[in-house]
Amino acid sequence: MAIITISRGSYSKGKEVAEKVAERLGYECVSRDVLLDASDRFHIPEVKLIRAIHDAPSVLERFQHGKQVFIAYIRSALTCRVAKDNLVYHGLAGHLLLKGVPHVLKVRIMADMTSRITAEMEREGISEQEARTLLQRDDEERRRWTRSLYGVDPWDSSLYDLVIHISKLTVSDAVDFISEAALKEQFQTTESHRRKMEDLALACQVKAALVDPFFDVGVTSDYGNVLIYAKSGDRHVNKIKKRAKELEKEIEGINNLEVHAGVPVPEDAL
Amino acid sequence: MPIIIISCDSYRTGRDIGEKTARAMGYDYVDREILPPVCEKYGVQEEKLLKALEETPSLLGLSSKLRNRYLAYIQEATLGQLLDDNVVCHGLAAHLYVLGVSHALKVRVLSPPEALAGELSTESVASPEKAKKIVKRYEEQRKSWSVGTFNLDETDPSNYDMVISLAQIDPDEAVKTIADTAGYRKFQPMTYSVKCLKDKELAGRVRVLLMNKFPDVKVKADGSTVVVETKAVKREKRKRTEAIKELAGSVEGVSYVEVHVATDIFRQAAESAR
Repeated sequence: MAIITISRGSYSKGKEVAEKVAERLGYECVSRDVLLDASDRFHIPEVKLIRAIHDAPSVLERFQHGKQVFIAYIRSALTCRVAKDNLVYHGLAGHLLLKGVPHVLKVRIMADMTSRITAEMEREGISEQEARTLLQRDDEERRRWTRSLYGVDPWDSSLYDLVIHISKLTVSDAVDFISEAALKEQFQTTESHRRKMEDLALACQVKAALVDPFFDVGVTSDYGNVLIYAKSGDRHVNKIKKRAKELEKEIEGINNLEVHAGVPVPEDAL
Repeated sequence: MPIIIISCDSYRTGRDIGEKTARAMGYDYVDREILPPVCEKYGVQEEKLLKALEETPSLLGLSSKLRNRYLAYIQEATLGQLLDDNVVCHGLAAHLYVLGVSHALKVRVLSPPEALAGELSTESVASPEKAKKIVKRYEEQRKSWSVGTFNLDETDPSNYDMVISLAQIDPDEAVKTIADTAGYRKFQPMTYSVKCLKDKELAGRVRVLLMNKFPDVKVKADGSTVVVETKAVKREKRKRTEAIKELAGSVEGVSYVEVHVATDIFRQAAESAR
């Protein structure tokens, strides 16, 4: 009973590892499904969500906060799935979107550039130089995306519990390590973990419902008691309060919902 | 049997993991305790060798020339120990110079940030944010040291077979994972990988001997053949080649010495300008 996120570069065999881990543990294996859920629920074309989670924001986008809106949608879809437990997520940014969830086993799978180039050349039928350029561009895009939205480098190994280099170690070795680690006590879903996860999923749903146009509100949830933090002097406070009342009826699991304006936003708020 | 090389952001934690792994596998454990005989052999204070392993060259600290020499001493001693096989090695930067040896399992272990910050800082670390800052600063220092010394980023996970963070994973579980991995077929010594290690060890011994006279030498070994690269002004080339051949040829295990002397253009230009 665990949640596993597998972060990977393209052609790093991370997908294969994730599928095999899910098969071994009898877990659900999720990647694109999260985007499809978000696309259905928020009526956004999937391609826009893919761009939001893949391409680094341009200078203009940083001011428009469009990406934050789409990411809030994706996060909401992901946390709803994760709240059901027993899941392997190998889509983009799982370790960042589920930050703060204590029982998530965060894994990064890496592979040598040479083997990645060979895999891309075989699949796409392109030259070595083209494959190298595409991979380098893709890696750089991931780095820029993560740095600009979360201020961290995806290559930083301290973001993960395990980093496995597929070279001397094989896909099957990686599957063994991950499956074994996932069964350890610290990654098991306890009652307190389940509650935290449900609270995160609830806060994400509220945030997703408010983020467009109120992208800078903060949201927390504790035992289903949702707090929405608006900036002091925000001319939208009344609108937020009105929308919050509607949300109390629309979203399941809310015990109580309050809007606080002018109060410092807690660090763990979404 | 394989060699296990452990790199850790905290010496104390790395030592703990290394010792436990060695005990679990019945291997020898090698760390900075091999340094006192090195100090005795070369007449250097242990403190200076430790500085060379930890600090980047600076005006008030070690010069880069001295640091390279001290690191060459450490490298020679470490490689000598690794030849014995069945060894767990930690704290001697072996992950940065034992390259291309397929029976070496390289593992990086990361301590929990709060624990590492507590170890690095004399003050009490009040918040996780402060701990993160302290750890970040230390990581930057290590990165700059490893890139400046071996042209490899110590913090880059692609330089290891595996990275294990102890923030969530228990040290005993980490030890078990390392021990299990070392048992895999790919980490068993093969004729070629053992030869690679022997070549490195021989090159290390020759380099130490040559460094006193020629600090800039680069040495490679292939079997009993040693290739030495150095720089000199035109008129010194022959003299230097002969001196290197004589010195390197006296090392046990060397049967042939090849010397490549490139022209030291800066010295040449300076001498022509006089």
